[in-house]
Amino acid sequence: MNQDEKLSIIKDILLTDEREFTSSIEKKIKSLEKTINEKEKLSNKVDPIIDDKLNNFIKEIPKTLGPTITKTLKEEIKNSQDAVVEALFPIIGKMIKRYIQHEMKLLSDKINTQVNNTFSFKGIFRKAKSKASGVNESDLILQELSNTKIEQVIIIEKGSGIVLAEFSKNKTTDEDMVAGMLTAIKSFVEDAFKKESQNLQHIDYDLYHIHLQNFSSFYIAVVISGAYNIIYQDKLEDKILDFTSKQKVSDILNNKELITQKLEDFFNNDNI
Amino acid sequence: MITSKKIVLIGHFGVGKTSLIRRFVENTFSEDYKVTIGVHISKKTIEIAEDESVSFIIWDLEGQDDIKKTRVSYLLGTHAFIYVFDLSRPSTFENLKNEVNYLHENYSKTPLKVVGNKVDLVNKEYLAQYNDKFDDLVDLFVSAKNGSRVESLFSKLAKELI
Ligand SMILES: Nc1nc2c(ncn2[C@@H]2O[C@H](COP(=O)(O)OP(=O)(O)O)[C@@H](O)[C@H]2O)c(=O)[nH]1
Ligand SMILES: [Mg+2]
Repeated sequence: MNQDEKLSIIKDILLTDEREFTSSIEKKIKSLEKTINEKEKLSNKVDPIIDDKLNNFIKEIPKTLGPTITKTLKEEIKNSQDAVVEALFPIIGKMIKRYIQHEMKLLSDKINTQVNNTFSFKGIFRKAKSKASGVNESDLILQELSNTKIEQVIIIEKGSGIVLAEFSKNKTTDEDMVAGMLTAIKSFVEDAFKKESQNLQHIDYDLYHIHLQNFSSFYIAVVISGAYNIIYQDKLEDKILDFTSKQKVSDILNNKELITQKLEDFFNNDNI
Repeated sequence: MITSKKIVLIGHFGVGKTSLIRRFVENTFSEDYKVTIGVHISKKTIEIAEDESVSFIIWDLEGQDDIKKTRVSYLLGTHAFIYVFDLSRPSTFENLKNEVNYLHENYSKTPLKVVGNKVDLVNKEYLAQYNDKFDDLVDLFVSAKNGSRVESLFSKLAKELI
């Protein structure tokens, strides 16, 4: 082997490896190129990693960021209480209101079914009124919500429930039936609470409030529509006391015509 | 002139108190039985003479198999009682004398009518066996179903009350 031959062999060996090496690198670069260039292929590989990291991060938030967030919130709330209250009030207020409304409804349903089951009083007022005026019941309900009015005043004999005198602005109910029912309810309730001194003073029926005021041999029932509160009740009580004492009602109980006239003179307005 | 009078019907369950009132007030009758709970009030005005009317405010009480259990406050101020029993059910009149006596003793001033209802369901022979028992206790045999003597029960009462 001469020099040249030897050299050629070495060259061969060396160059073959180099060529192979080069082509392998070339392949790798091409595939890298491919991977980088094709976004999808890249994200396929990267997404799972990011997802993983992100999941971990979220899991760790309470530990890592939690205290900071809470602290910030606390400070925010402290520094701007009014704003927070304002923001929360409608939500909490509504929740509480709804809860109370619900409870009240349950309670009033219970009372109503009890009263309806016990006494056939059903819609006696509004139905009669609706019939008489030709206005439908739901319109009446809305109308009735607006202002306080004395609808009817009945002087009723205790025990028998017989009407001694009556005054009403629009003759819509049968006072004899109302007086009978009221007396029955009154007896029932007062019996249930046994104590003789205990008197039923007030019945709510549908949108009517029936104010009851006791005297020795009779009681006076005032049917009121609209808002009825303690202040009104108080004034009404005084007005009735005024009426009975000034007009000496106890002395004229047997004179239906005379009491009726006096009742009308006294109650024919909504002033109390 | 109109005078109002409180009338109370008493008697056991299902003897026909509610039916008698409906016959008198609305002139109707129904076979189905709806138990009266608490008190029902109805009203009917009848004329007994020219310019003379009586308004009956009628209290229909829930039935009680023992008259002593009736809520006393419901009976206050009553102008007349109608005690009803069921002619077709002897259990509703086996204690008749005691129950009537109880009313006489406790409400001696209040007029009382004792009526046997559902007379449409029984015949003469049946009634005859109870002759002795009914003789001086019972005022009338009536029927809410066919209306027999219901009107006369109330018009008699009206006249006695004026
Ligand atoms: N055949 C008949 N049935 C009657 C008469 N009066 C009532 N009834 C029936 O007896 C049942 C009880 O009547 P009701 O008036 O509710 O009795 P109350 O519990 O005393 O009020 C009902 O099914 C009525 O239809 C009657 O005169 N004749
Ligand atoms: Mg009944």
